[in-house]
Amino acid sequence: MSETKLAVKISELTWQYSDTKAPALKNINIEIPENCFVGLTGPNESGKTTLVSCIKGLIPRNFNGSLLGKIELFGQDVKTMSAVDLAQTVGFVFADPEAQFTAMSVEEELAFGMENIGLSIDEIRERIKWVSQITMIENLLDKSPYDISGGQKQRVAIASVLAMRPRIIIMDEPTSMLDPFGKDSVFEICEKMKEELNMTVIMVEHTIDRLARLCDKMILIHEGEIKKYAEPVEFFDNIEEIIEYGLNAPDPMIFIHKLRKAGYYKGNMKTELKDVIKVAREALDKHVS
Amino acid sequence: MRECVIEVKDMYFNYPDGTPALQGINLNIYDGEFVALLGQNGAGKTTFAKTLNGLLKPTSGYVKVGGIDTNQKGVIKKLVMQVGYIFQNPDHQLFNNHVKKEIAYAPRNIGLSPEEVERRVQDAARVAGVREEHFNMHPFFLTKGLRQRVSIASILALKPRVIIVDEPTTGQDFKQSIEVMEFLKMLNEKEGHTIIIITHEMDIIAKYAKRIIALARGKVLLDGPTNEVFAQSDILETTYVKPPEVTQLAQALSDYGIPKDIIDIEDLWSEFSNRIKGTEEQ
Repeated sequence: MSETKLAVKISELTWQYSDTKAPALKNINIEIPENCFVGLTGPNESGKTTLVSCIKGLIPRNFNGSLLGKIELFGQDVKTMSAVDLAQTVGFVFADPEAQFTAMSVEEELAFGMENIGLSIDEIRERIKWVSQITMIENLLDKSPYDISGGQKQRVAIASVLAMRPRIIIMDEPTSMLDPFGKDSVFEICEKMKEELNMTVIMVEHTIDRLARLCDKMILIHEGEIKKYAEPVEFFDNIEEIIEYGLNAPDPMIFIHKLRKAGYYKGNMKTELKDVIKVAREALDKHVS
Repeated sequence: MRECVIEVKDMYFNYPDGTPALQGINLNIYDGEFVALLGQNGAGKTTFAKTLNGLLKPTSGYVKVGGIDTNQKGVIKKLVMQVGYIFQNPDHQLFNNHVKKEIAYAPRNIGLSPEEVERRVQDAARVAGVREEHFNMHPFFLTKGLRQRVSIASILALKPRVIIVDEPTTGQDFKQSIEVMEFLKMLNEKEGHTIIIITHEMDIIAKYAKRIIALARGKVLLDGPTNEVFAQSDILETTYVKPPEVTQLAQALSDYGIPKDIIDIEDLWSEFSNRIKGTEEQ
C-alpha cells in the first residue's frame, strides 16, 4: 500500500480571540489525509468556523489573539506559507455566496481569481468550461451573479473556488441559507467533487444525516474541543452521545439504536434510510410469524 | 367551535405583470391553530402569507381577517392589530437605534396613548424574553437570537391574534431551532396566538404544527392535520416534497400493518415493538 499523504495536520492547537475570556479552540490534534471528504459539525459557536479559519490561515493573520500549536498543510507550516501559497492551497466557500462576488457576470466571476494569479486566457477558458460543467452552471455564464437563485449563487461560488484548483477546499455551511432545491443541488455537486476530483474537502454543516451519507469522516466539535473524529458509521454508533452534544440525531438512526437496545438487531449503525428499512423488515420477518 | 380568524374565499392573486401567483384559494383559519405552510419555492407560500395581513390585496375573491375585508380602504391599522408578520431575517424589520424604541414603534404609530404604549412594550418584552437591560442597546449589537426576539416583541406589542413567521429556523443550529419553536408553541398555547409558519423543515413541522396547508403552483394541494397530510406521500411527491424520514420509514413498513401517518419516532417504535411482542405472546 502506498503511503497516504496528510493534507492537514494540526498539533496541540489552542487559540483565543483577544476580546474573549476563554479560548475558542482547546488543544486540537487532528490529521486529515489527502483526498479525504470530511464533515465538520457541532452546535453554533462551538468553534467550527474558527477551526477552518486556522486551516485557511485567516487566523492568526487577520484576527487578534494568541495561538499555540502548529498547523501544517502537506507538511508545510502555515506560518511560513506566503499569502499566494495559501490562496492556491486552500479555497474557501462562505455560507453567504454574495460575500465573495465581485463581478457583473458569472463568467467574469469565475475568471477573477484565475486572472489574479496570472493564468493564460486559454487556460482560464479551459478551466471555466470544466468547472461550469461540474457545478451545472453552463447556462448561467452570461447572467449577473445577483440575478440567479440562491442555489445557483452558491454553485457559482463553489465553481469560482474550484477553478483555482486548490488542493484543499473548505465550505462553511454552504447550504444553510438555501431552500431544499438549492440544498439538493449543492449536495449533488459535493458528491461529484468527492467522486471525480482529487481534492481534500472540509465541509461545515448542520444537516448531519446528509453529511453522514456523503463523508469519509466526520468531526464533532463542542465548546472548542474535538469530541469525535470517525467514519460516519462509527461516528453515529452512540446516538445518545450525539443527542447530548445538542445535535439533531436523525430518526432512522434513533430507530436502529432502539432495535439494538431491544435486542432485535446486532449489526452496525446504518446511515442510509434504505438500509434502516431493510434492517427493520428483517427484524419483523424474523420475529413476526 | 372555535372562531374563524381568517376567511379566504375564491382568492386569486396576479402579480402586476399579470402572472398568476394564487389561483382559487378557499380555506378558513381558526383561533388558536398552529399551521404550517408547505411547498416548493415558487409555490406561492410567501405570496399567500402576505395576502393574509393586507400586504398584498387579492385580484379577485376576498380575504377577511376578523371579519374585515382586506380590500376595503383604510383598514390597514385594523389589520396590523389582527395579523403580525415576522420576516425571515430580523434585520429586515429592525430600524430604530434603541431596542425600546423599536418595540414601541408600531403601538405608537397606531395612535395609542403613551401609558398604553409603555404597558404594551413591557408586556411584549417580557413575553419575548427581552430584558430591561437591553432596552437602551442598539439592536444591531445584539446576538441574532436576541434580534429575533426584539423583532417578535415589536410584533407582539400590537397584540395581533395571528402571527405569521417566515422561515423561523433558517441558518440556526438544532438547539436554537428548538428554542424558537418552543417559544412559538408557548405563544400559541399560553398566550392564545394563532401561529402560521412558513418552513421547509419537515421535522419541525412534524413536531410542532397541527395542520399543514401544502401549496403547489398557486393552488392548495393538501390541507389537513399534519399526520394525514404526510400520509399522502404520493400526492406530496408531485410537488417534490418528501414527508419526514420517520414517516417514510413507517410507510415502508406499512405491509406489516404499521400506520402510514406516523410523524413521531416514539410512536413508530411502539407500533413496531407491539407487532413483535404481539406475535411472541401468541
